[in-house]
Amino acid sequence: MAGVKLQGLSKHYGDFQAAEDVTLDIVDGEFLVLLGPSGCGKTTTLRMIAGFIEPTTGTVTIGGADVTRLPPWKRSTGLVFQNYALFPHMTVAQNVAFGLEMHKVPKAEIGSKVATALDLVQLGHLADRYPRQMSGGQQQRVALARALAFQPDVLLLDEPLSNLDAKLRHEVRHQIRSLQQRLGITTVMVTHDQEEALTMADRMVVMKDGRIQQLGTQRELYDDPTSEFVASFVGRSSFIKGRFSGGRFVSHGGLAVETERRLTGEAVVALRPERIHLGADAASDAGNTYRGRVESISYLGSSIDVEVKLNEIDSVIAQVVNKGRDSGASVGDEVSVTFPRDVPVFAASPA
Amino acid sequence: MSANAASRPKILTAAFLIGPATFIAALGVIGPMLYLLRYSFNQYDPMELMIETFTLSNYVEFFTSPYYLSAYLTTLRVGLISTVICLVAGFPLAYVLARSGSRFKNLMIIGIVVPLFVGNAVRAAGWMSFLGSRGLLSVTLMKLGFTDGPTDFMYTEGTVIVGIVAVNLPYMVLSLQSVLEGINRNVEEAAFSLGAPPLTMARRVLLPLALPGIAAGTILTFILAMNAYATPVLLGGPSFNMMAPLVYGQFQLNNWPGAAAVAFVLMATTLLLTILVAIITRQKFREG
Repeated sequence: MAGVKLQGLSKHYGDFQAAEDVTLDIVDGEFLVLLGPSGCGKTTTLRMIAGFIEPTTGTVTIGGADVTRLPPWKRSTGLVFQNYALFPHMTVAQNVAFGLEMHKVPKAEIGSKVATALDLVQLGHLADRYPRQMSGGQQQRVALARALAFQPDVLLLDEPLSNLDAKLRHEVRHQIRSLQQRLGITTVMVTHDQEEALTMADRMVVMKDGRIQQLGTQRELYDDPTSEFVASFVGRSSFIKGRFSGGRFVSHGGLAVETERRLTGEAVVALRPERIHLGADAASDAGNTYRGRVESISYLGSSIDVEVKLNEIDSVIAQVVNKGRDSGASVGDEVSVTFPRDVPVFAASPA
Repeated sequence: MSANAASRPKILTAAFLIGPATFIAALGVIGPMLYLLRYSFNQYDPMELMIETFTLSNYVEFFTSPYYLSAYLTTLRVGLISTVICLVAGFPLAYVLARSGSRFKNLMIIGIVVPLFVGNAVRAAGWMSFLGSRGLLSVTLMKLGFTDGPTDFMYTEGTVIVGIVAVNLPYMVLSLQSVLEGINRNVEEAAFSLGAPPLTMARRVLLPLALPGIAAGTILTFILAMNAYATPVLLGGPSFNMMAPLVYGQFQLNNWPGAAAVAFVLMATTLLLTILVAIITRQKFREG
C-alpha cells in the first residue's frame, strides 16, 4: 500500500492541453475520485498514473518511488476498465491468476490467492466460467478481483460502473467502496457521474479543460464551490448574475442580495435548490427575501422543483419536500422566496 | 403448426438465396472434378492417349518417380516457408494497421490492397527485371563494388519464395488485421497493468485471441502458395518444378490421366494440411 503523488503533471498533444499542471497528494488508503465532463483530463490523469500515457512534464510518485518513466508493467497498479476488459479466452480463475503469474507468485500459492480474491467479490463459485457466460456486473467484479489479486499499491478505476444498469451500479458501487475500505488500498477513480463521486469518495477532484478546478471533501465541494463550474457540476445550482458595487451585490435584474462574502466587480451567486425556501413561513431575517411568480413545477416524487421568476432576468429553482396533495404552489402563484446570506459567491467566469 | 407455416417461406427464401451459387458450383466445379478424378484412374498410352480402365498406376508412378516426388516436396517446402514468412512478417504490420488511429490508415490499407490489382505474371516480370543478371539489384551491387561481375538472382527456390510472399502477404495482412481490430485495446492494457511486458502480453493475450485470423490467413496463403503457377514458372525457370506447373505440363503432353493424378495429389495435400491447421487452431482456441 502506498500513497500517490502527482507533481505538476501535464500532457500536451501539439497545442492541445489534455492535462495541465495537475498536482495531487493522494494519501495512503484514500479513495480519490476525479470528476468532470468528458475531455476534462480526468482519464488522461488516470492513464498517466497507470503508465499508459507519458506526461509531457511533471512526475508521478507511487509509494515514494518516482515511476514517471516506468512502463505500466513495471508499476504496481491494478486497473479496472469501463468495459471490464477481461481476457475472453480465459476462465474467471485464469483471468485472476494472470496478474499473480506475471508477478512470479509461486505456482502452489496461486490457487489459494485466486480463491481469496474471488471470495472478496463473492464469485468463488463461478471460477470455471468464461467471461461471456456472465452478466456485466459479475464481469466487473471479476475484473476487480483480478486487479486486486496481486496486491497492487494502487487501485485505478476508469468509469467502472458506466456500463452497468442502474440497479447493478448501486450494488457494485457499494461493493467497491466497502472492499476498498476493508483492504485500505489507495484508490483513484474516474467518473463523470457526480452521484458516484459523492457516495464513494473520501475526497474528490473536479476537473475541467485539463486543470483541477477544486479539490476537497464532498461537503466542501457541495457547500463551498469556488467556481460557477463546480457549483453547476457538483449538485445543482441556480445562478444569479450581477456585480458588486460599494460592497453590495446587485443582480442584473435589480435584486440587492446580501452575502457574507464580498467581492468586487462582476460576480455570481450560486443557490442550491434545497436552501431556497418558499412561502410565508420563511423567516425574513434569515437572509434574502423576494417576491416572485411560479413559472413551472416539476414533480420528482419525494420532492418538487419549483421555478420562480423574480424579475425579467433572475429566476431560481427551489426544491420543496413533497408533503402530499396540498404541498407547494401552482403555476402563476405569487410566492415569497428566501435564501440565506452564507451562499457561495464567486467572480464571474470570463466566458 | 404456426411455426411450420412461418418457417416454410424462410426455407424457400434460403433455398432461393443459396440456390444459384450452389448450382454453379455443382455444375462448374464438382462435376468436372469428379470427371477428372475418374480420369486419374485411367491409363495413359502414347499412341491411344487414354485407355478407359481402373488402375492406381498413375498414383503409384507419382509416389515412386523421383521427378514427381521432388516437385511434390519442393511445393510443400515453398508453401510452408512462404506461409510462415507471411505470418511472421504480416502480423506486426497487421497489428500496426489495426491499432493505428492515423488519418493515413485508409491510405495504408489501400497501399496493401493495390498490389492485388497487378496480375501475378506481371509482377513476376517485374521481379525478373529487378533480380536478373542485368537487373537493378545486380547492377547496383556491381556499381557499389560488392560484386565484380553481374549476378543472377533468378531461378532459385529463394527467388520463388520471395515472389510468392510478395503475392500472398496482402491476403495474410488483411485476414489478421480484421481480427486484430476486433480485439479491444483495453484487454492489452489490462495485461500490461497486471505486469505483462509486451512480448508476454502478445503471447498470452494477443495471439490466442487472434487465432481465428491466424488460421484464416495461414490457410488462405498456404492454398495460394501450393497452387502458385505464374510465379514458379517465371521466377523458378525451366528446371524448377512445382505442382501446378507440373499439372499443366502433363496436360500439354496429352497425358490426361497423369495430369489428373498430380492435380488430385496437390488438392488432397492442400486440403489435408488445411484441415489440420483448422483443427489445431480450434483446439488451441478452446484451451485458451
